[in-house]
Amino acid sequence: MSRAEHPIGSADRDAELELFGRLPGDEAAREELVEMFLPLAEYLARRFDRRGEPLDDLIQVASVGLLNAIDRFDTERDVQFSTYAAVTIIGELKRHFRDKGWAIRVPRRLQEVGLRVNAILPELSQELGRSPTVDEIAARCEASPEEILDAMEAVQAYSTTSLDSPVGEEGAAPIEVLGGDDPSLEILEGWASVAPAVKELPERERRVLYLRFFRGLTQSEIANEVGVSQMHVSRILSQTLASLRQAVGVDQKDPLRDERGADPDEP
Amino acid sequence: MDASNLDQISVAVTADVARVHVLRAVTAAVASRMRMSFDAIEDLRLAVDEACGWLLDTNPGASSLILRLLPLDDRLEAVVAVNEGGGPWPPPDVEQGLPWLILTALVDRLELGTDPSEPSISLGKRTLEPTAAP
Repeated sequence: MSRAEHPIGSADRDAELELFGRLPGDEAAREELVEMFLPLAEYLARRFDRRGEPLDDLIQVASVGLLNAIDRFDTERDVQFSTYAAVTIIGELKRHFRDKGWAIRVPRRLQEVGLRVNAILPELSQELGRSPTVDEIAARCEASPEEILDAMEAVQAYSTTSLDSPVGEEGAAPIEVLGGDDPSLEILEGWASVAPAVKELPERERRVLYLRFFRGLTQSEIANEVGVSQMHVSRILSQTLASLRQAVGVDQKDPLRDERGADPDEP
Repeated sequence: MDASNLDQISVAVTADVARVHVLRAVTAAVASRMRMSFDAIEDLRLAVDEACGWLLDTNPGASSLILRLLPLDDRLEAVVAVNEGGGPWPPPDVEQGLPWLILTALVDRLELGTDPSEPSISLGKRTLEPTAAP
């Protein structure tokens, strides 16, 4: 196939049109189109990476967009499918962020403040030799203390990211990079009796718990050690504790755990 | 207590996990007015979250969830309570439980109220040393 030379979009317009001609109804043609344009979906998904959503999820969202584009494309229209597909896929990705992420739901100003806080915290902590106060952060960020507080709270509101998602950087989550022994297994021994669900936590969550509750590191120290922002550590901690609490509650109060709601994450 | 009692802040919300964020936010707002580090504020916020969750779980019959904050010279005291008990409080073997484990790591002082009709958890977090400016 000539696809390799033209990873984005198809080289062979005729083949493309022929496949569309067999739609709807021909599953094989549909699949071939999906395969043909999957690189486009992946390419676009990557452009939305680094916003805190795992790339795999984004690719999945983009693929849904691609399917919609294939099903809705009208060959009569004077537009190339790749153009049409790109618009549809980007629309799907944006909707995903609007529905799920803070990238769009949180007011822009707050997002900016949040990002600046993230960037400033490590350097300010280092300068002061301790974790800064909100006033100190506000002064450095040229924002009001209220805005800093709002940004802190907004980070918690962004709770839909799955717990095992990487930090948004391409590739492995930091925990995988660290490698070596996993001292956080200790937290399993310590906590498993009171919170059996701790066993099911992803490694990174366990490690953050371990660093905070066994080693007594502060959030900023954990951020340093694990290689994520402090805001992210804060989010991991609160989500993980909430999920453990819920699991413990289910174990204790409701042996028929299935009857309990499937809505652990209220906004 | 002392004159700072005048500064006590009380907030009550419906006893529902969906309302806990209000108490978290108020705690952070008050803490940020004191000389409290970002780390400490985050800890306190998590602690309030945990305390609320614990109380709500163990006292399903409660209708309101109350937060009282008392800013003092060297620390912030936070008391989280529910208006109705749902069993023995403090719970038996409390120190073997997960919430205790979590809370002791997050705050400098932890105490459980002993009034079973108004189960409460009292937390204390120290502010920064007065002259820690660079």
